[in-house]
Amino acid sequence: MNIKITHQWLLDFLETDATPYEIQKYLSLSGPSIERIEKIDNDYIYDIEIISNRIDYACVFGIAQEASTILPMYRKKATLKLNPFEKYQFNKIKINEEKYQLKIKINDKLCSRFTALIFDNIEIKPSPEFIKKRLTLAEIKSINNVVDISNYLMLTLGQPVHVFDYDKIKNQLMILRESKKGETITTLDGKTTVLPGGDIVIEDGEGRLIDLCGIMGGLNSAISENTNKAILFVQSYNKEKIRRTTMLTGVRTVAASYFEKGLDEERVESTLVYGAELLKTFANAQPKSKIIDFYKTHYQKKTVETTFKKINQLIGIDIPKEKTIRILNNLGFQVKTNNNKLIISVPSYRKYDISISEDIVEEIARVYGYNKLAGRLSPPVYIKQPEEYEKLYQITLKIKYFLKHLGLNEVINYSMISQKLITEWATELNLKLEDHIKIKNPISKEIEYMRLSLLPSLYKNLVDNTGKREILKFFEIAKVYFKNNPKKNSPADEKYRLAIATNTDFFDLKGILEALFKELNLKQTPQYKIINKNNFYLVELDIDFLIKNYQNLPKYQPINPYAVIKLDKTFELSKNLTYQKIEKRAFQSKLLKKIELVSLYKNKITLRFYFSSLNKNLTEEEAKKELDQI
Amino acid sequence: MLTNYLKDFENKLKKVNNLNQLITLKNEYLAKNGLINQLIKKIKDLPIEKKKIFGIEINQLKKTVGEKINQKEITLNKSNESFIDLTLPGKSYPKGSLHPLTYTIEEIVSIFQKIGFIRVSYPEIDWEYFAFESLNMPKGHPARDDFETFFIDLPENKIYGKVVLTPHTSSGQNREMRRIKPPIRMINISKTYRPNWDTTHTPMFHQFEGLCIDKNINITHLIGTIDFFVKNFFDKNRTIRLRPAHFQFTEPSFEIDVSCGICQGKGKINNKKCRTCKSGWLELAGAGMIHPNVLKTGGVDVNTYSGWAFGFGPERCMMMKENLNLDDIRILYNGEIRFLEQF
Repeated sequence: MNIKITHQWLLDFLETDATPYEIQKYLSLSGPSIERIEKIDNDYIYDIEIISNRIDYACVFGIAQEASTILPMYRKKATLKLNPFEKYQFNKIKINEEKYQLKIKINDKLCSRFTALIFDNIEIKPSPEFIKKRLTLAEIKSINNVVDISNYLMLTLGQPVHVFDYDKIKNQLMILRESKKGETITTLDGKTTVLPGGDIVIEDGEGRLIDLCGIMGGLNSAISENTNKAILFVQSYNKEKIRRTTMLTGVRTVAASYFEKGLDEERVESTLVYGAELLKTFANAQPKSKIIDFYKTHYQKKTVETTFKKINQLIGIDIPKEKTIRILNNLGFQVKTNNNKLIISVPSYRKYDISISEDIVEEIARVYGYNKLAGRLSPPVYIKQPEEYEKLYQITLKIKYFLKHLGLNEVINYSMISQKLITEWATELNLKLEDHIKIKNPISKEIEYMRLSLLPSLYKNLVDNTGKREILKFFEIAKVYFKNNPKKNSPADEKYRLAIATNTDFFDLKGILEALFKELNLKQTPQYKIINKNNFYLVELDIDFLIKNYQNLPKYQPINPYAVIKLDKTFELSKNLTYQKIEKRAFQSKLLKKIELVSLYKNKITLRFYFSSLNKNLTEEEAKKELDQI
Repeated sequence: MLTNYLKDFENKLKKVNNLNQLITLKNEYLAKNGLINQLIKKIKDLPIEKKKIFGIEINQLKKTVGEKINQKEITLNKSNESFIDLTLPGKSYPKGSLHPLTYTIEEIVSIFQKIGFIRVSYPEIDWEYFAFESLNMPKGHPARDDFETFFIDLPENKIYGKVVLTPHTSSGQNREMRRIKPPIRMINISKTYRPNWDTTHTPMFHQFEGLCIDKNINITHLIGTIDFFVKNFFDKNRTIRLRPAHFQFTEPSFEIDVSCGICQGKGKINNKKCRTCKSGWLELAGAGMIHPNVLKTGGVDVNTYSGWAFGFGPERCMMMKENLNLDDIRILYNGEIRFLEQF
């Protein structure tokens, strides 16, 4: 989540001698990241990243508070001019007459604090220039004074608010409840949403839904040019509910991105009071009801205990005690010390993210500045890498480089494939859809099933690249995923495979495999099947087998000092006389060392046989005798 | 006496550039009426005692001239007959390629190996317990919903919960703590999955996890280790900064940025905003000190041990290295030959 605020706006709360660019630099190092800064006229726009556990600083005041803590650590002056959460209390609102009423029914599991105040005599008109300008720079469209004030409040104090037209609420009744599945609401933007059920909504006295709480108000209760009476509405909602609704309905609003992170109930009061002041000043609105405040479970003071030693141990340097305490105080923590011990009370707006000593360490270390900590390597220690990993990485890398040097291109495909691709390969690979591990929430049909074979993806690579290059030779080493894991230590059986695919010919692919087996000095060669699909040739092997049979060096053969006799012989190949048969028969001779292919023309094959003995020089006669046996 | 003749000849030979000139020179010296024969004719006019010496000298001169002319002829013929263009390309050998990530991962692993980190591997299809619970992300945490994580259609395990495609390599943290007692120095690089698919996201990507658990481990060790990596992996001109961040499984947490290699950390190219980075910085990794809940869940005594962890995206690391500027990262996984063959 990012927010945009301006420098001048920040200066409403902050007194500083730091330039906007210094503020960007130092805050980014120690607090909220100011990703971009842009100068427009006499103001600067800060584009600030809000990390998910710090929704409390997603507002002008929050950034001012961070700045007042951080900048002095970089030798810049910075102090808070005012704290609106201390200044604005209910007792600041003067109500002359409680003319209007609102009956409410609330479920505190959905809404932990509910405040409302009714105004009359509202004048709907354009906002004053400074509000218009600030909102425009923050990229929020200026509409009218009342709508703008609600947005201005949100950005100033970090609490979204809503304004209803009081006269449009039937029977002056609001029932805050969970929606039923299929209920619909038409929101301010004119869009109608069918609710998934369990969403926080408000219905009025006639059973109409008037608010999709925390996300967007209903169109039927919205203020208009003719509005005379309005309800300023400031709430704390159940964050999980808000997130669920906004994700399921796809209605993403800025308000929702605040509420879904969990807001501080204590800040609701000041927001309502400051809102009342702005409405009075810029819309002439007069408060004409009692302040409705439903707040069942108040904030219980939370404390964290730690020691200076513990803090410094985790940071790795000694930060002076006074500095530690000052940092915490500036961030709104109250600190009591007892020798080495710190008892820290956590402000309400940090209740979700500060619970343990390590959370306190983070506050101190970041404000002090991570960049001021000198790095050192972790103390050296020898840890044995499990042999299976050592071999896996070493041998797969060897295979990859070897295939690359033969001219193949490595590809990495998604582990997930489409049903269509599985069906296309069902026959060749005997693939069954139900054997595949299925993804419940795929974002596309292309990635719905976990692969059981790498070949369909590689085949697709060949198809996709056809015409781009004359010769295509791809390989991939990746896992395939089986449903049952015999080891039971994880849900699936994940096995590495090597697959090769070419658009050349059968013997090209076979030659690649044979060269690879030789390179790996395999003790035993694997069984494999080269598949021809539309004149693409593909093969897949288990990496496990290759690893098991891998040898770093082949078995040494002593160099034979005796003569080698080479003899050629031609055969006519047929179904009954294959090369494999000739080879098998030939090697029955104990003197045969090697066979070489001399030529192949049609089905006539000429082979060269190498004969030698380890004990003596063979005569040609002896060799010929052997050859005749073949 | 005849040395001048030889010198004279050698000077003339030097000026010879082609066979015709050579034949002319040869005739001048060795033809019937050539210089040598004229000298021989002079012998008879000499006194007897000089005749012998002069004869030897002339013969010597004749022999030398003949040899030199022959040699010259050979050289001239050679350069004439076959012109060899040495600027022609050499014999062509097949040039395959590895996926650029393979090189990146190899480089990352070798950097960490030098400082004693071992590479391990953990499941890509795992239970929620390892992906979330053990990482201090209880039920209801936003990362656990199906907008952030792929869920698998396999029966739920009574103890470990639903089955997911691991959204991060951190799922290996608890598994490594179960495998061995501290000290731990682990890196885990693996495929990871999240339901996003656009120019900057692919539903499958890689992550690279570092984990260090030992006595007295503190923030400075994390900074030092990452600094070592960045200085080895990127060039020396790239700088890093650390920013506060929030992760459930580390406390304190931070984000590590590297200065942008496209705009040299300036945030601008030709006065236009750099499209690659944010004000000159690129997010490189998330990191932090391991949350005590994570250590406890892994059976590590938090009073004795502490540790750090980080998670990088190797794709990002690769792209951040100079000269690898990918506008659309989907090209990494669509098998495009014109992309792959370049590496």
